[in-house]
Amino acid sequence: MLRILLINDTPKKVGRLRSALVEAGFEVVDESGLTIDLPTRVEAVRPDVILIDTESPGRDVMEQVVLVSRDQPRPIVMFTDEHDPKVMRQAIQAGVSAYIVEGIQTQRLQPILDVAMARFESDQALRAQLQAREAQLAERKRVELAKGLLMKMKNCSEEEAYTLMRRQAMSRQQKLIQVAEQVIAMHDMLGG
Amino acid sequence: MTDHRTTPRADAQTWVAGSDAPEKSSINLGFMPLTDSASLIVAATQGFAEPYGLSLNLRRQVSWSSLRDKLLSGELDAAQGLYGLIYSMQLGIGGAPATDMAVLMGLNQNGQSINLSTPLRQAGVCNGETLARHVRQSPEKLTLAQTFPTGTHALWLYYWLASLGIHPLEDVNTLVVPPPQMVEHLRAGRIDGFCAGEPWGAHAIDQGMGFTVATSQSIWPDHPEKVLGCTRAFVEQYPNTARALVMAVLEASRFIDASEENKAGTAQLISADEYVAAPRQVIEPRFLGNYEDGNGHAWRDGHALRFHGDGEVNLPYLSDGLWFMTQFRRWGLLREDPDYLAIASQVQQLDLYRGAAGALGIPQPASPMRSATLLDGRIWDGTNPAAYARSFALHSMGEVPSADDQGTSPCCASS
Repeated sequence: MLRILLINDTPKKVGRLRSALVEAGFEVVDESGLTIDLPTRVEAVRPDVILIDTESPGRDVMEQVVLVSRDQPRPIVMFTDEHDPKVMRQAIQAGVSAYIVEGIQTQRLQPILDVAMARFESDQALRAQLQAREAQLAERKRVELAKGLLMKMKNCSEEEAYTLMRRQAMSRQQKLIQVAEQVIAMHDMLGG
Repeated sequence: MTDHRTTPRADAQTWVAGSDAPEKSSINLGFMPLTDSASLIVAATQGFAEPYGLSLNLRRQVSWSSLRDKLLSGELDAAQGLYGLIYSMQLGIGGAPATDMAVLMGLNQNGQSINLSTPLRQAGVCNGETLARHVRQSPEKLTLAQTFPTGTHALWLYYWLASLGIHPLEDVNTLVVPPPQMVEHLRAGRIDGFCAGEPWGAHAIDQGMGFTVATSQSIWPDHPEKVLGCTRAFVEQYPNTARALVMAVLEASRFIDASEENKAGTAQLISADEYVAAPRQVIEPRFLGNYEDGNGHAWRDGHALRFHGDGEVNLPYLSDGLWFMTQFRRWGLLREDPDYLAIASQVQQLDLYRGAAGALGIPQPASPMRSATLLDGRIWDGTNPAAYARSFALHSMGEVPSADDQGTSPCCASS
């Protein structure tokens, strides 16, 4: 069963979503207002999905969503009465997987959550690939830089520079990038 | 050829643009703690893959069966594989349902060994002949370990024992033990010997637990051993990634074999805890071809472990793939002759390999078949695998002879 953290950002004391969720067969592990720090709640409760019920998401809500998306990514579904497309776009950018305007019907909850989860997973995969590509590119640039410095310092060919760095890395049981960073640091220290 | 367009692609844009950049820029690569995983470790850590837009995440495995399961589940994209492991997955005889598999390239030749316990040496066993005498005279069956039921180590052990007139499935007990645990099993007296990759033979000697009675290269000089394997689905879905992977590993292989200094450095690198986790002094001598058998003999081996050999090592020869199927047939792991050549042609990714090696200017043997003389004087050159499989005096084929049988092997094995 999905564990749901329900955030009630409406003035009503008992939110409108809880009974609908329980009726649809979900486990609502916690219900709290936004006054409580959302990342802390997520850390403590470890939900599968976060549902935010809000009349109109304000800056506070968006900021909390951004923090969760960055540090403890989860599918986030937002139920709201806010029709403004600008607000919707902000919410999606902040990391909301599904933005549902008005109308909470028990029978629609399951497909809404399914879509949110699927969308979240594909976003995460793309993000991971992107991060890997960026890290890879950054690493290549550092290795290239170190190789160039070494070629100048040792007056050697490109291939010799690579071999020198690799031998050093292997003898220290390190990766090439680590030795490249050492070469760059040493070069900086000597004021090259 | 596969129709790539029917397969959903992870990165459709790259494909549409006709780029040869890897569809997947980061892959999980499985390996076992063995000396011959060196080219994968060097490729992943020494910057050989990044220029192709690829990052290799090394994933050490505890056993060959767990490596197999993770290849099938997709947890591993590609892995170091025993030749026989990949073929048993293809044929569905390795404890998992038949799955189309791919051999991207050969990773290494040589470098495995058969080792016997110190108590056996004390009982007068010092070579194949004295072992055969011991097996005939001793009332108790010896227990010999290998690393996977259909793996190369099982097949080297079986071939060697059979060449001495010892039936590996009747005259001795065999069992599977993950390579790093061999020495502990010897120490505990649970096994009398084992066949595995280095450094575990050298480690047994170092610990005073045993001696090397035969190297795998003494059975078949320059024999095929580990391969870079993955599912066929992976190659078909990510052809550019597979090619980039082959190029990175080829370059790492060439680098390792380029000089003694590079080899020594590699031995130092792979001895680290996160890789082979064995002392350098146990790994390095045999890595450099300096053998000592733990029984007073030392020699420089002319067919020691090698990773590249100017490209001779890496071509996924059809004849290499065929040989493992002939041995599966010989030992009854296959009840019937498979369509040998058709299967090998599908598994061995010759086109992909030739493209990658060509781009790097690596020399390529022209023929996908190669010829070798094994220790019993038999020649294997890839021709007529079905007849070769049933040409051995010792086997476990039952009383099969099928319709096209040449009548060379009458019945069950007996010595």
